[in-house]
Amino acid sequence: MTPRRLVLLLLPLIAGFLFDPLPTGASGNKNFQFFAPPAEGTLPNGPLGRLIRQGELIFIHTGQYAPRYVGNDLTCESCHLDRGIKPYSAPLWGAYGTYPRYRSKNHQVNTLEERIQGCFRFSLNGTPPPVDGKTMKALIAYAFWISRGAPVGLYLKGQGIVRMSKPTSPPSPDRGKAIFEGRCSLCHGLDGQGTQSDNGQVAFPPVWGPRSFNKGAGFYNVRELAGFLKMNMPLSKGKSLSDQQAWDVAAYIHSQPRPEDPRKAGKGT
Amino acid sequence: MVVPTPKTLFVVPLVLATTLLGAGQDLTLPETWAAGDKEAALIAWGHTIAMQGNGLPGNTACAECHRINGGGMPSVGIPRIAGQTETYIYREIRGVQKGTRYSPYMDGIVQNLSRKDIRSVALYYSTVRTPKLHDPAEFDPSLRELGRRIARRGLWDRNIPACILCHGQNGRGIPPNFPYIAGQSKSYLMGQLLSFAIVKRKDDPEGLMRGIASKLTNREIKAVAQYFASLEPPVYGKIPEKNRPDRLRLIPDKETPNR
Ligand code: HEC
Ligand code: HEC
Ligand code: HEC
Ligand code: HEC
Repeated sequence: MTPRRLVLLLLPLIAGFLFDPLPTGASGNKNFQFFAPPAEGTLPNGPLGRLIRQGELIFIHTGQYAPRYVGNDLTCESCHLDRGIKPYSAPLWGAYGTYPRYRSKNHQVNTLEERIQGCFRFSLNGTPPPVDGKTMKALIAYAFWISRGAPVGLYLKGQGIVRMSKPTSPPSPDRGKAIFEGRCSLCHGLDGQGTQSDNGQVAFPPVWGPRSFNKGAGFYNVRELAGFLKMNMPLSKGKSLSDQQAWDVAAYIHSQPRPEDPRKAGKGT
Repeated sequence: MVVPTPKTLFVVPLVLATTLLGAGQDLTLPETWAAGDKEAALIAWGHTIAMQGNGLPGNTACAECHRINGGGMPSVGIPRIAGQTETYIYREIRGVQKGTRYSPYMDGIVQNLSRKDIRSVALYYSTVRTPKLHDPAEFDPSLRELGRRIARRGLWDRNIPACILCHGQNGRGIPPNFPYIAGQSKSYLMGQLLSFAIVKRKDDPEGLMRGIASKLTNREIKAVAQYFASLEPPVYGKIPEKNRPDRLRLIPDKETPNR
């Protein structure tokens, strides 16, 4: 038995002292081969439980619960599906135990807080909340809870975004446009600007334009975006795009207008 | 689905229809009557089809089954159609005509409707308001939590998103492509989920519902159907300005009316 397996085996025992026993999977699906966060309804009572819940609310209704820091129509869940739990959409349980981490994006070792600040600044085209503020505290508490029982310092299956191998032919925005109009416009609109519900709230998020992520975001990288689309889009139909199609539609989205990278637009460092 | 016997389907509604049709004159007229002559004319024609049929063989009045104000008949699984969007109603009737939606009860009735007929009747029902009717189906309290969970959280470990992600908050729909499912009867909802699962209904864009329904167990179908059946339907399916159908192309049906 490898040390990693041993750790994984022992973890439930250790964790058991702190909280209730670990569940086997969100809905008891035995074929589910990924890390399973704690079952619903097992949140601890008291201040910690309340903070975790607050973090969850910020995660799924970011504009409503952290309005000061959000500059577009997206929420954390727009990209980190199932409240930051779904594998291959950079789930929180894949991140919590893998920071601090060196990132070539800013040539620094980043903490998890700093990583989250990055998503606010680029993916939400907003302002990073302070590391010691309430918003960040709540999000970290939520990430901690989702990652209960996950090993520290190990990369788990399903963490991050799938890294696509090179496409057979260069990604083509033209081919991508046809795919987008055929398979994505139903929800995101032919013009990529998303859909509203009848009470005026965002129903399906915009994928480009003034209310979407900016040019500093991870998804402004075609490979990263293609990896997300491959596994997650169209919603509930992950893996139905071929690799080439995922590259093509990512290239099309990439070719559309969106807010500038704030680092280049001279809005700070 | 709970298949209505021919007797309940035709005798009961006929009796109801004859008594109700007389009273049909004082129907509250939809707001859009004032919106323009052409639209008003379409709605008026739609109203006629709904109450009497279009006069061609086989075309029975919609109201015989969907009731006078489109509230449906929960006891036999006939859906409410009041307040669904014009786009959706149009698409479903075309689906029945083309055979992509298997519907033995609707099949004969809609074959003789022209595109203009369909558009008129769809427009008419989209503007009708009807309160939720009593659903006599049994509700199993032990399935309440499960139903709620599937509806609001989904079963992501089988790649099933929360229903409300596509059907809107509380199942109110995201017009025009995603119909409201709140306040439909339990038997109708179960029937459609099964129909998607065994691919008798295959008019759903991208196969979204076929994919989802085929992954649900019977117990889960029951639970989630009863959850949405217990909610209130939206009053009036207005399409938000941002969701103009010309922005949101429908994959299977390019002829959808452009408004
Ligand atoms: C526009 C899409 C988008 C939005 C919105 C978004 N993120 Fe991210 N996030 C990403 C991408 C892309 C990554 C990089 C994932 C990778 O490559 O591992 C990422 C990474 C992360 C990571 C680190 C994951 C890892 O495995 O290293 C965390 C934590 C995170 N985001 C939290 C958040 C939070 C909290 C919010 C809301 C405030 C948010 N994100 C909003 C796209 C987004
Ligand atoms: C059934 C509706 C639906 C379809 C079809 C669909 N998406 Fe999405 N998409 C969503 C939803 C919903 C989200 C946000 C997830 C959430 O909030 O849980 C999303 C999120 C996204 C995001 C990240 C957030 C953002 O706005 O940038 C991108 C990019 C995206 N989709 C691209 C696509 C592409 C490309 C296709 C076609 C291959 C597609 N989608 C098809 C519903 C859909
Ligand atoms: C003989 C009874 C009957 C008549 C008459 C009838 N319907 Fe239906 N209709 C049904 C049944 C039963 C269903 C649902 C089950 C199915 O699909 O088989 C249905 C389904 C529908 C649906 C789909 C609703 C949804 O939510 O997807 C629409 C729209 C509809 N009918 C419109 C009409 C219109 C318009 C007329 C008049 C031209 C009409 N129906 C006449 C029995 C009838
Ligand atoms: C990915 C998006 C998506 C999700 C998630 C989704 N649906 Fe649907 N659903 C649709 C679409 C699109 C239609 C319209 C199909 C058509 O046009 O024929 C639909 C139609 C339906 C209908 C038929 C409505 C009618 O009036 O006939 C029912 C019932 C339904 N969905 C139930 C559910 C339930 C229950 C869930 C959750 C388990 C769910 N849906 C989740 C996209 C979705």
